[in-house]
Amino acid sequence: MLEDQIVRITSRLVAPFIQVYGIYVILHGHLSPGGGFSGGAIFGASLVLIALSFNLEAGVKQISHQTASVLESGGALGFTVTGLIAIALGGNYLANRAAGFPLGEAGQFFSSGAIMVITVFVGIKVASTITTLFYNIIEKETPHGNSKQAD
Amino acid sequence: MSYILILFLVILAIFLRFVIGVELRSILTIYLLGLIVYLFSFTVAEMPPFGRPDNPAFNEVPARYLEAGPSETGAINIISSVITDYRAFDTLGEATVLFVAIAAAVATLKSHRY
Repeated sequence: MLEDQIVRITSRLVAPFIQVYGIYVILHGHLSPGGGFSGGAIFGASLVLIALSFNLEAGVKQISHQTASVLESGGALGFTVTGLIAIALGGNYLANRAAGFPLGEAGQFFSSGAIMVITVFVGIKVASTITTLFYNIIEKETPHGNSKQAD
Repeated sequence: MSYILILFLVILAIFLRFVIGVELRSILTIYLLGLIVYLFSFTVAEMPPFGRPDNPAFNEVPARYLEAGPSETGAINIISSVITDYRAFDTLGEATVLFVAIAAAVATLKSHRY
């Protein structure tokens, strides 16, 4: 949407780093400040940045509507299924240690059992939610009902 | 004290209505809002001060989270262990709110067909 060379090149350079940082925050949710919500927001913000500085098509090329909706429903579904797995393993709904998830050694990367799984699902869900919401808001509706991107 | 206040408010209302010419409806609205603000600030003044060790928030629950959190959940980030283990059901509700919100937004703003 912005026809500015500086903004485009800067956001093209910065976007991968933002995405890596978002994934880092999601994956280290049980070790450092952050977690699924904040990491997902960072990751979604990078996709919003691409769609803002180029155009909607460039953003949709990164993650299509179909993929975003599948990821969104998948994140919510994965969260609930993790809770149901805990029931199947003999604990309460969304139980962690009581259900027998391997906790590992506290402070290591692979630790804390279900917490890491839930954090990843929440991160996927929040990132796709922000992306879907933004795409839907900036899309223009034509009189015939077909989609047309906002300039 | 309160009689003086009520007298002042009545005189102020008469002044506003007949000298300045404000509508009675606006005066009543402002007085009602002032009453609500007064009641709310009265409630806030009754709340315990921030960060005092004998506040009702500092009971055995956060002590348990802080002491037994890393060994019970395996996460050294206590906030993460609270929101995704001890109170994971609350977080599920939060994710459901997000899901319903985005579903409503897409249903309202939908301009493309899948």
